[in-house]
Amino acid sequence: MEHTRSHPRAARRTAGMLLLAVLTLLPACREGGTKPPVVVPGATARTELLGAAGACVLTTAREFQAAAVELDTAVAALAARPEARTREAARAAYHRAMEAWQVVEVMQVGPAARRALPGGADVRDNIYSWPLVSRCAVEEQLVSRGYESADFPTAPLVNRRGLFPLEYLLFHEGGDTACPASSPVVSGGGWAALSAEELAARKRAYAAVLAADVRRRAARLVEAWETDKGGFSRTLETAGTGNAVFPTTQAALNALSDALFYVETEVKDKKLAVPLGLRDCAGDTCPEALESPFTGRSKANLRANLVGLRRLTEGCGAGYAGTGFDDVLVAVGSETLATKLRERAVAAEAALAAIEEADLRDALDQDKASMRALYDAVKGVTDVLKTEFVTVLDLELPEGTDGDND
Amino acid sequence: MGTTTEVAPRAPRRVWDWLLAPRDLAALVFFRVALGLMVAVSMARLLAFGWVDSLFARPAFHFTYWGFGWVHALPAPWLHAVFAAVGVLGVFLAVGLFYRLTVALLFVAFTYVQLVDVSNYLNHYYLVSLLLGLLFFIPAHGAFSVDAWRRPGLRRDWLPAWCTYLLRFQVAVVYVNAGLAKLTSDWLLHAQPLHIWLSARTSLPLVGPLLEQRWVAYGAAWAGFLFDTTIVAFMLVRRLRPFAYGAVLGFHAATSVLFPIGMFPVIMSTAALAFFEPSWPRRLVARLRALVTRRPRPEPLPVPESSGGGASPGWKGRMGLGVAVAYGLLQLLLPLRAHLYGGNVLWHEQGMRFSWRVMAREKNGSVTFVVRAPATGREWHVSPREYLTRLQEREMSVQPDLILQLAHRIARDFEARGLGPVEVRADARVSLNGRPAVLFVDPEVDLAREEEGVAPKRWILPAPESPPVRLRAHRAPGSSGFSWTQVAPHPPSASEAERNDSTSGNFGSRDCTVRLKAPVPLPWMMRTSSTPS
Repeated sequence: MEHTRSHPRAARRTAGMLLLAVLTLLPACREGGTKPPVVVPGATARTELLGAAGACVLTTAREFQAAAVELDTAVAALAARPEARTREAARAAYHRAMEAWQVVEVMQVGPAARRALPGGADVRDNIYSWPLVSRCAVEEQLVSRGYESADFPTAPLVNRRGLFPLEYLLFHEGGDTACPASSPVVSGGGWAALSAEELAARKRAYAAVLAADVRRRAARLVEAWETDKGGFSRTLETAGTGNAVFPTTQAALNALSDALFYVETEVKDKKLAVPLGLRDCAGDTCPEALESPFTGRSKANLRANLVGLRRLTEGCGAGYAGTGFDDVLVAVGSETLATKLRERAVAAEAALAAIEEADLRDALDQDKASMRALYDAVKGVTDVLKTEFVTVLDLELPEGTDGDND
Repeated sequence: MGTTTEVAPRAPRRVWDWLLAPRDLAALVFFRVALGLMVAVSMARLLAFGWVDSLFARPAFHFTYWGFGWVHALPAPWLHAVFAAVGVLGVFLAVGLFYRLTVALLFVAFTYVQLVDVSNYLNHYYLVSLLLGLLFFIPAHGAFSVDAWRRPGLRRDWLPAWCTYLLRFQVAVVYVNAGLAKLTSDWLLHAQPLHIWLSARTSLPLVGPLLEQRWVAYGAAWAGFLFDTTIVAFMLVRRLRPFAYGAVLGFHAATSVLFPIGMFPVIMSTAALAFFEPSWPRRLVARLRALVTRRPRPEPLPVPESSGGGASPGWKGRMGLGVAVAYGLLQLLLPLRAHLYGGNVLWHEQGMRFSWRVMAREKNGSVTFVVRAPATGREWHVSPREYLTRLQEREMSVQPDLILQLAHRIARDFEARGLGPVEVRADARVSLNGRPAVLFVDPEVDLAREEEGVAPKRWILPAPESPPVRLRAHRAPGSSGFSWTQVAPHPPSASEAERNDSTSGNFGSRDCTVRLKAPVPLPWMMRTSSTPS
């Protein structure tokens, strides 16, 4: 009896040792993360990811909300007491808000996403509409003082509000205009008629309106995700039968993976390829296409974007601990891909860090090769997303059209 | 085929007698009605769901079939009108109105819709085109039709047997080739891509938790293979037919629930009825009528003499037979053409279309076109998104002939902008059934100089030799007191370890690379651990 019972024990001991050996060997090969592989069924991992991602987006949105409150306070102070100290405080607050927002950029799922998408409420474009921005449109508002209108916060044109106009209003001190001669503010003489003091005053007033608007919208975004209010994190977590927004877990996962493709469509193709002259650029380079032209924080934005990417793909905790897409990949048995995804993200961060210049405008001018290396490293991430990642998890590419298959 | 003149020699006469033997028209009438309704419903779905816009009208660029570059998409309102017209013609077909003209127009219009854009190719729509083409030669409007009601001369109860055989042959070609397409190591030995697909459907009620079990994927893979390859044989055996058709319904119902394959299950379930005795609808109606009216069932129709009558066919009959045989050969050989190219058709895609390789692979790619002006040395990167919808991009990224078409278009565009002549290369990486993505086409080849055609495309790189991704096996919750977890490492690439530029030069990286080159564990070397859950 004893003899027969010892077999399972021995087998378990052997298996346990083998498991231990494998678990100790695997992290040695992982460059980008330190998470131990926790193996749970794929379905459980998918559900856990949805829950964790919801919490992650909410946490990130709260970080932005806190920064938006700070920004609103600082800009209101600047409007009330225009002096160097309040100006610097407002500018510093803007940097912090933008830093937080650029992480949210990669999390455009649910309320932040476009209305056409599941649960979408267009919140993102109303907070930051880049690349749909127009300095001239902002300057037209300065002349017409449209920002004083009662219906300004609900006006449909997103390029007149949000973080891009705020950047211009807080950081651009010149009296020049980007509007063409045919623009009414130029041809009608409205812009030229503004004295430097009046222009500065209007900029402060407009900035105060915008900062308050951003604060309101940030609060709305947070509320939309909070379980006891809009409850979108609950909607995401409970995807499946009976869920009106995500009738299947896969639909929710797809929405989440769609958000990751910000790294392809915006980061790679717009923030890097265009300035590098690889597309939509007549000259050798197009520095004017860089993001954040008045703050010179295009490099910092990219760093934050990669943080957002890693929070979703690896986990939202300190050092990217917690549940991310990589845990689902491990759960379904694709540890290699999980490792590759982490490594590619780390490689992109390394390529970004390798750019010595603080502003990509300078990098374009002095060290284009390093910026091209960053483009290639980011492409390394998007190649994995578009191939193995969507294949192994059976995800659809964003904006994919529904239709029959066979 | 019905024209006979002189007495035929014995063996050919038997063939003619077999082909011309009278068969009840009822099953073909049912098929006509069903096909017409399916076409109408398909068009209604395409219009109602906005797919006419998203799949046909919205794309700025359309991929054309080789030799059909002259087929262009009509502007939006006209395109919608074509789809609506096809739907109406489907209803006409169902009710048997202006049958010949309706079938001819339907065939042309439906085929036109398919030819508008290769990226919309679906096996089941190709099948519908073929079935419409066949119906043109089958006078299935002799009963239960407006035509027969208006013109009594058209009425008939019988059609020559070849009409039924032709339909059965077409359905058999689909099933058998769909089965043979699964005769791959990926499908049978690795249960891929089924395991990938099933694992993503665990939120389905009841069966969901089972779907990520490896044994379920293997069971489904082998069941699918055996079903497709043998179902025709079972359907041909009279005694087994009801059970076989039950399997047909079960199989297609399951695929319909699991996968977004639209009308395909309905089309195949209907088409498989062709294997029943041609009088089955008449007998079914008689049985139902007897049940309702409680009167005895009417006598079966008296079988008329064979229209062959032992005579040899005239030139029309011989020509008809010749065309039918040629069509049959084409249908048999077309799916086999992929073998002429060698290699893995699921990878190189040469000979993939019109071969009934239904749901045989999960493949995704990432393509960037690298354009270079030799005169200036200037380089541009072109994202396919600049030309394509996401659906088109997904299809293009894994089909070399579509990559070539877009490369040609990009070259033309650059030259039209005064930037040419340019070289166009593709940085294309593809993952097949979850394998690590590898280069798909030769990045050194200037695609702008490559010709379209059916000749083998030497610039397609070889398929990866590693096995597809092996997903983890999990026991369904509560299925036993133990949870099972595979603890052997994921098999590394059988070919070579992948270079990782970000860690190259690093000692740890080299160490890991060496470990990755370890021999691939064989299935019996895989270990599992069992622990109380």
